[in-house]
Amino acid sequence: MYFTQHFWELLFQGIRLGSLYALIAIGYTMVYGVLQLINFAHSEVFMSGALGGVFMLTALAGTNGNIPSGFSAFEYTALALIAGAVVSAAVAFSLERVAYRPLRKRHAPKLVYLITAIGASIFLYNLAGKLFGRNNLQVPESFHSGPVFVLPGSGPSGPRTVKTLDVLIIATAFVMMIVLDLVINRTKLGSGIRAVAQDAETAQLMGVDVGKVISRTFIIGGLLAGVGGVLYAMFHAVSYTMGFIPGIKAFTAAVLGGIGNVRGAMLGGLLLGIVESFSQGIIPNGLEWVDVVSFVVLVVVLLIRPTGILGERTGRAA
Amino acid sequence: MRTINRVRAGAVIAAGVFALSACAGSSTKSGGGSTSSSTGSGSSTSAANNGKPTLEIGVQGPLSGANQALGLNIDWGVKLAVQQENAKGDLPFNLAVKEADDQGLQNNGADEANLLIQDQKVMGVVGPAFSGPTAAAGALYSTANLVAISPSATAPKLTASGFKTFYRVVANDNIQGKAAADYMAKALKASNVFVVDDKSQYGQGLSTAIVAELKADGVTVETDSAQAGTQDYSQLASKVASSGAKAMYYAGYYADGGVFAKALKSAGYNGTMMSGDGSKDPNFITTAGKDAAEGWQFTCACLDAGTNPKYAAFVSAYKQLANAEPGTYSIEGYDAANTIISVLKGLNTATPTRQAVADAVGKVDYQGLSKEVKFTSTGDISTTAVYVYQIKSGVITLLGDVNTLVGGS
Repeated sequence: MYFTQHFWELLFQGIRLGSLYALIAIGYTMVYGVLQLINFAHSEVFMSGALGGVFMLTALAGTNGNIPSGFSAFEYTALALIAGAVVSAAVAFSLERVAYRPLRKRHAPKLVYLITAIGASIFLYNLAGKLFGRNNLQVPESFHSGPVFVLPGSGPSGPRTVKTLDVLIIATAFVMMIVLDLVINRTKLGSGIRAVAQDAETAQLMGVDVGKVISRTFIIGGLLAGVGGVLYAMFHAVSYTMGFIPGIKAFTAAVLGGIGNVRGAMLGGLLLGIVESFSQGIIPNGLEWVDVVSFVVLVVVLLIRPTGILGERTGRAA
Repeated sequence: MRTINRVRAGAVIAAGVFALSACAGSSTKSGGGSTSSSTGSGSSTSAANNGKPTLEIGVQGPLSGANQALGLNIDWGVKLAVQQENAKGDLPFNLAVKEADDQGLQNNGADEANLLIQDQKVMGVVGPAFSGPTAAAGALYSTANLVAISPSATAPKLTASGFKTFYRVVANDNIQGKAAADYMAKALKASNVFVVDDKSQYGQGLSTAIVAELKADGVTVETDSAQAGTQDYSQLASKVASSGAKAMYYAGYYADGGVFAKALKSAGYNGTMMSGDGSKDPNFITTAGKDAAEGWQFTCACLDAGTNPKYAAFVSAYKQLANAEPGTYSIEGYDAANTIISVLKGLNTATPTRQAVADAVGKVDYQGLSKEVKFTSTGDISTTAVYVYQIKSGVITLLGDVNTLVGGS
């Protein structure tokens, strides 16, 4: 059977996609935690990070198709990831300043935030389309993605392998998630975020600068989404509408894990990625069923646990 | 109490958000930039001062969005034909181009067609470019007696849907599919083939035709589908790689085809990778990257101007106007526009009716640049040439006519 023969490969591909969903989902969940706002413009934060990374790669490596090797491969990849993170963080920061802070100052109803978020999203992707064209952009390769290790089980086309790119995506995502978890649970900034999520008014009375915490939450979400965007660009495509579907999927992942809960977003992302991958391996012509299966899983989880797998424990560590 | 309220609020928000996200989804697809503009081509303004009335030729196709390149190729071809005609000035009116941007999406097909139909100055339409919008718009054009000559909508069933005024200047996908299948079975000698379609009108029509002919040729066929916008092609690519198929055919457009090419490369697939006219565009290479795109082959009923000296005058005029090389369907767009122009010339009146134009197009016999334009009773073109192209060092190069390639091996 296809699934049993390719179990490890499917699992790996699922984790790869899932860790990207998780990186984006964290941005949704953290903003929800501090503002109780679904930041629909987050998918455009993700898109701008991918654009930033691609422009950095194009500036460094050019578009002639030469693949750098050795140290420059490492250097280019790292710089592209950093560029993506910085651009996304900047976009997320300005988004909060321009679109949400004025609303917060005027104590606008929650629905207004939601409409603003959708408006900001439409504005941002159309702006990107206007500035950078409506076609897919070329993503220069910054390293040669060769096999790293062989997976158990083989088909007629020889052994299946895990490539450098797969390792890069999974490793980067996991490192970032672990660092974030430490930041949230061990640092002053983290306790500030948790305090605002629990009860913003009381946190303010206790001397927490709520405005600053919210700003920083957006920046952290942006950093992660930017790195996710660059990694996504390396195996998929970059265009002005690229954020939409991953954004919806990541939002689903955040709800699946328990919106507002950072570890929940990580778990939800990974789970969603693996479910998508497995459903393709199990169901014949499974690609057509991917979204059906993942949303059935979401609905079932929400029926049993209405607040997601880990629960909506916004303020608590996990 | 507080926590319960919160849980409830959360559930309500989540539900609302799903509804909203669904709306956002459709609005991204149908809303974003589908505005249509009526743009006279550069030349029509210069020729507009001679006191003659102005009539229009409509263009319907993706002029923005992910697959805009194919639409723009056609648009510039039409604009060139109109510019040249206005420069000659032998019609009793000036011509202008009116654009309707359907983004290649079926949902937008009817609205954009209505935009052209409601403009009484539009005497004929080049388009719709894609099969989905054509399926949605064909009946409207038919009712309005407005002739629509598509340079590129190739889904077979379009000419079997009773659209009275629909014609096309390229062979349909039954012919392309049959040619592609014969090419893979006889020229590439592939004993097993994997066919993937993108679930669009175009992709499914093409893949059905390919699969039928492959089976008739005694080839083992495996099929799968991946909707346009699929997030992760790597599972599908692994499936293709582990099937051990000698050849793989992707029936879909370049925006997704390029991503799929990337995944196939990473999965280590080493059979011959092929696609159709919808992917035959330089943007396929941009999306996939030079490495992953190298060696892909394309079937297309279209003819590239390329370096053929026969088309040198067309190429240089096109470049001057569009500031770009002619691409896939540029010549066909030019031919379709010139077919309408030749009919208008034949009617030789300053006030032609749509009905008269439509009737005359059905009987037309016009020597176009790419081929003789002459339609069958259903609206298909009577010539059936299909060409094979291959990406060589990052450039889409003509390999030859399928009949010669199959016969010669």
